[in-house]
Amino acid sequence: MKTVIIGLGNPILTDDSVGIRVSRAIRQRLGQRGEADGRNDTVDIKEVYAGGIRLMDAMTGYDRACIVDAMMTGRSRPGAVTEFDPDELCGTRNMMCTHDTNLSTALELGRMLNMHLPSTIKIWGIEASDVTSFSEQLTDEIERAVPVAVNAILGELNFDAQGEIS
Amino acid sequence: MKNISIDPITRLEGHGKIEIFLNDEGDVANTYFQVPELRGFERFCVGRQAEDMPVITNRICGVCPEAHHMASVKALDMLFGAEPPPAAKKIRELLYMAFYVTDHTTHFYALGGPDFIIGPDAPASERNILGVIRKVGLDIGKQVIDCRSRNHHVIEKLGGRGVHLAGGLPGGWSKSVSEDERKEIEEVAKKNIDFALFSLKIFDDIVLKNQQYLELVTSDVYLHKTYYMGTVDDKNRVNFYDGMIRIVDPEGKEFVKYPAADYMQHIAERVEPWTYLKFPYLKNVGWKGLEDGMDSGVYIATPLSRLNVSDSMATPLAQEHFERMFETFGSRKIDGRYQPIHHRLATHWARLIELLYASERMLELAQDPEITSPDVRRIPQQIVGVGIGSVEAPRGTLTHHYVSDERGVLTSVNLIVGTTNNYAPMSMSIRRAAEKLISRGKIAEEGMLNRIEMAFRLYDPCLSCATHFLPGQMPMKVIIRNSSSEIIRTVQRD
Repeated sequence: MKTVIIGLGNPILTDDSVGIRVSRAIRQRLGQRGEADGRNDTVDIKEVYAGGIRLMDAMTGYDRACIVDAMMTGRSRPGAVTEFDPDELCGTRNMMCTHDTNLSTALELGRMLNMHLPSTIKIWGIEASDVTSFSEQLTDEIERAVPVAVNAILGELNFDAQGEIS
Repeated sequence: MKNISIDPITRLEGHGKIEIFLNDEGDVANTYFQVPELRGFERFCVGRQAEDMPVITNRICGVCPEAHHMASVKALDMLFGAEPPPAAKKIRELLYMAFYVTDHTTHFYALGGPDFIIGPDAPASERNILGVIRKVGLDIGKQVIDCRSRNHHVIEKLGGRGVHLAGGLPGGWSKSVSEDERKEIEEVAKKNIDFALFSLKIFDDIVLKNQQYLELVTSDVYLHKTYYMGTVDDKNRVNFYDGMIRIVDPEGKEFVKYPAADYMQHIAERVEPWTYLKFPYLKNVGWKGLEDGMDSGVYIATPLSRLNVSDSMATPLAQEHFERMFETFGSRKIDGRYQPIHHRLATHWARLIELLYASERMLELAQDPEITSPDVRRIPQQIVGVGIGSVEAPRGTLTHHYVSDERGVLTSVNLIVGTTNNYAPMSMSIRRAAEKLISRGKIAEEGMLNRIEMAFRLYDPCLSCATHFLPGQMPMKVIIRNSSSEIIRTVQRD
């Protein structure tokens, strides 16, 4: 099983960078491992800065993908972590690329062209509060959401805290 | 006074909005295109070391990091008074051509093309890259994906990192090109030329040979007689990486030609109370509002404008297609130059001609014996304190302007991004589209969203840089209000 964890967002736009920050925290926790002992289970961690076709490219060749991004739904408190499937996607902040297409269209394109795309895609959205100011710092509530999201994602992927595949 | 708002509904905040204001007779009075503001970029940069800028500014946007990286590095060459060796400039331009190929390819197949290849009145669910590929064949879909990936690979090789490249340094480039890399890039460039010719043929077969589409392209729906801006070389041929900024007037006469560093003598920015974006205009013509014509300082900076300001193309195949486009529009030659094309939908054709030029130029550079020279850097010996760098981003002239203290620490930063140049003309094209669809209170809802989307799509706006973004295919809502601002009708598309 080849898994990819993708942090999505703009690293210099305050809370918009939360997906990138979560992916970096996961990398620290797991170390950027290749193959786990004797099994063909691998996990790669990537940062992606634009949605659409680039995001689809980043998932090509994997069996399972997990995408983390900021969202602004106004329906939950800042810092809330929500998991959903691509088909119920209301759209996180960076899934759509202004310069090509949205993720579901990009995935359909990949499937149409017989590209190897993950059979399981999970999306984690973190409700943001400021995505229009330039800063490398997250706002407080969003900063506190980072470890919550890390644990949730690792739990979902069946990794324990030491990052061993269980 | 009736107001119509077109609102993407996926974002409660941080989205663009199109407002259409009607007068008491029920005709369009004005159209405004508003986007929220990204705040604090200058504050974010001031106090940093100037040499960090190429890797900061390329993170402004996920679409054109390469353009920001190049404009930034050129600003640093000036700020540190370090002229790069010829090989370094060629490597920068080579990488930049690979970027142009990916960017223009994506726009044609995923954004601009669907309007023509599928048709402007087709449902939005079909007017996308999937529809294009269903119509032209799976093999072409594979070619589009391959084209993007082989050129992304070149960018990563030359730039040291994909997307947010890191190769640029004041006075040059951080790594030279090996002979093996050169050969590989040469092959990529050859494939790019074939792909560009093939894309032009698709445009020919599907758009130009279709009477209905040809009429749309050559109709006056999106026609504005404005000034045009673009970067040209010493023979007045378009160049994406370096040259002088040339402005021609609506009749095609050169109005002014200046080095990028003089931009403040020529470009002013108009602030309007209803939007955060500033409208750049030609200072020496003056601001007359969102109007076209000789007396209005509105200009555009797009693939079409770059071809309009050029006497010719610097590569042979692109030159053939350049001539064909101007001839098709019945443009006459005056003093050896074609008269400008004012039809905005021709921008899609111009973009494909640029795709071909970028591919040919990439091959020229990959075959240049100097490209593998190890001499790629001049170490800066001084701090001049002011740096202005500009390149042609795919969506318009991009300028970075930095001021530093004697230690090279930034004290001020100003950027004019490609899309901002086109903010006024974009609003004008949207208004023109709305005028065709609304008259005397009668509103042709059918096709309205498409036609208005087409108006801004042709400019290929990248609002992540200008402010934040407007989705390429957006769920939209049109809110129609009566003169007391009460909602009387809502048209929605998910």
